[in-house]
Amino acid sequence: MSGLELRDIRKSYGSHQVIRGVDLDIKAGAFVVFVGPSGCGKSTLLRMIAGLEEISGGDLLIGGTRMNDVDASKRGIAMVFQSYALYPHLTVRENMGFALKYAGTPKAEIDKQVNDAAQVLGLGALMDRRPKDLSGGQRQRVAIGRAIVRHPQVFLFDEPLSNLDAELRVNMRIEIARLHKELGSTIIYVTHDQVEAMTLADQIVVLRDGVIEQTGSPLTLYDDPDNQFVAGFLGSPKMNFVAATVTAEGLQLAEFGGQVIPMPPISSAPAVGTNVTVGLRPELFKRGGPAAFEVTVEIVEHLGGETYAHARQGAGAVLTIATDDGRSLRTGDTVTVHFDPARALIFDTNGDRLR
Amino acid sequence: MIRLRSLITYGLLCIAAFVSVFPFFWMLIGTTNTSADIIRGKITFGGELATNIANFVAQVDVARVLFNSAYLAIATSVLTLLVSSLAGYGFEMFRSKFRERIFAGLLLMLSVPFAALMIPLFVMMARAGLINTYAAIMLPGIASIFIIFYFRQSTKAFPHELRDAAKIDGLKEWQIFLHIYLPVMRSTYAAATIIVFMANWNNYLWPLIVLQTNEMKTITLVISSLASAYYPDFGVVMVGTVLATLPTLIVFFLLQRLFVQGMLGSVK
Ligand SMILES: Nc1ncnc2c1ncn2[C@@H]1O[C@H](COP(=O)(O)OP(=O)(O)OP(=O)(O)O)[C@@H](O)[C@H]1O
Ligand SMILES: [Mg+2]
Repeated sequence: MSGLELRDIRKSYGSHQVIRGVDLDIKAGAFVVFVGPSGCGKSTLLRMIAGLEEISGGDLLIGGTRMNDVDASKRGIAMVFQSYALYPHLTVRENMGFALKYAGTPKAEIDKQVNDAAQVLGLGALMDRRPKDLSGGQRQRVAIGRAIVRHPQVFLFDEPLSNLDAELRVNMRIEIARLHKELGSTIIYVTHDQVEAMTLADQIVVLRDGVIEQTGSPLTLYDDPDNQFVAGFLGSPKMNFVAATVTAEGLQLAEFGGQVIPMPPISSAPAVGTNVTVGLRPELFKRGGPAAFEVTVEIVEHLGGETYAHARQGAGAVLTIATDDGRSLRTGDTVTVHFDPARALIFDTNGDRLR
Repeated sequence: MIRLRSLITYGLLCIAAFVSVFPFFWMLIGTTNTSADIIRGKITFGGELATNIANFVAQVDVARVLFNSAYLAIATSVLTLLVSSLAGYGFEMFRSKFRERIFAGLLLMLSVPFAALMIPLFVMMARAGLINTYAAIMLPGIASIFIIFYFRQSTKAFPHELRDAAKIDGLKEWQIFLHIYLPVMRSTYAAATIIVFMANWNNYLWPLIVLQTNEMKTITLVISSLASAYYPDFGVVMVGTVLATLPTLIVFFLLQRLFVQGMLGSVK
């Protein structure tokens, strides 16, 4: 297992810059997840690490060695693709042993490696089938097996679970987490599934338009985002953003009857009169209480354990409220909710966090 | 109402089937009749098969002619498939600023009729000293625009991620082509084989111009010279025609299953 260093990595197609200077340290053995909106360059960055796209600028180091111009097969990486990319004309066994065969590994050694990987992934009974005779989950398992057989320093996954149904996705997610524990390899994993990112990652990297917005542990990013984009991107349902104005008493919420809440604890409070955005996680809201808002429920989503209510006051902004005692909520109900102002986040008009 | 519709449908299908099957039927009948009977329009089997075959064998060096045809058709087909599929692969796999323009240029050339190319081509071959050689027949067709087009279209269904996976597994580009692309696209190759093999086996005009000596001639040329004799013996011509039709039928039936797959899109 090796770590990676990305130093000012850039990629352009013609004059169009897709990756615009990415600096990133990945520790050996870490599970790193790239997230970001569609088109932000996650796949491109991963493919540059893999050696499938040329690097237009910057340095890529894997295990301390500069790899910019090293062939994809010699970087010590293995990749699992969204479409699995299994060779359709080969059996599972041949698929898994393919790279070793090309590397000139003796047949007995290939058999051993392939059987070991098959054992780890429970593929025993499928070894002589072709990919088209496998289910989606089985194909994904074979694709992972093919990667394991090469004993890579770094595993690269590009949205590996997005073609699977919800239940299988959960199972495979757990399996990937287990594999990471067993193999101890470095993993870089691209997804736009929140839950995958939060549950799998040691370190999440949030990308937007080819630059890193923030990187850190899942809970750090969730609790302490650097900017409004990261705050809005992580978390489901999304964080509420409410417009507010700074006054001498605290923050005045124009869309909630001009109600004033105390200023959350930040080191340098902005000047009176500044417009800011207050970020409130849906689960922050509690029913009733002092200094409560009165809101009207517009849409209720009952998930069983939890309830999401989309509610607002008059024509104001819609608040998403997550609560676990919301079974009785109905559209049109008027409810009072409050939140702990100390846990509200504040962003300036550029979207940067004020701390 | 529905019965009337299906009556009309089946009626039309019967006519279409008759139109396509009758020439074969007539060809088979012709082999068993005398030339005079054929001209008179006799459409029942006669008893002249043995005589017609004997006459055909007497007039034509059958082994030589079949060998020439087979050699030309097979060699040209193999080369055409190799070169044109490589081009189709390249056009689809590699991005370049000029790719679409070059491709459009190629397609434009499809509209130039062969008749317009024939004389310049003949002059070229003559200068190169290739008249009366098989090279003169093979070379102009190897880069077949239609087959390049067909392969490019089919390659759109070939997953690029397979190529990426193969690169990571350590394959060079030519190995990817040979060991991944070729087997995955085999039904496209089968369909193209049928098209190219038939076209070459039946090729008439260009060989007629380029081939000058008898020992080089192919079966299509021989049949045509039999048919344009002063007093053509149509019974003998029909025997030759049957012989000329058999190989294409055999190739078609051998590759039929893959051919249909290839026409429907080869990658599943
Ligand atoms: N070969 C290419 N030529 C030109 N532009 C490209 C090429 N490949 C990707 N791009 C552009 O690069 C940007 C990033 O693409 P990329 O596939 O990395 O996004 P992504 O974050 O993986 O998105 P998604 O979540 O949809 O998979 C996109 O704007 C895309 O249009
Ligand atoms: Mg992507």
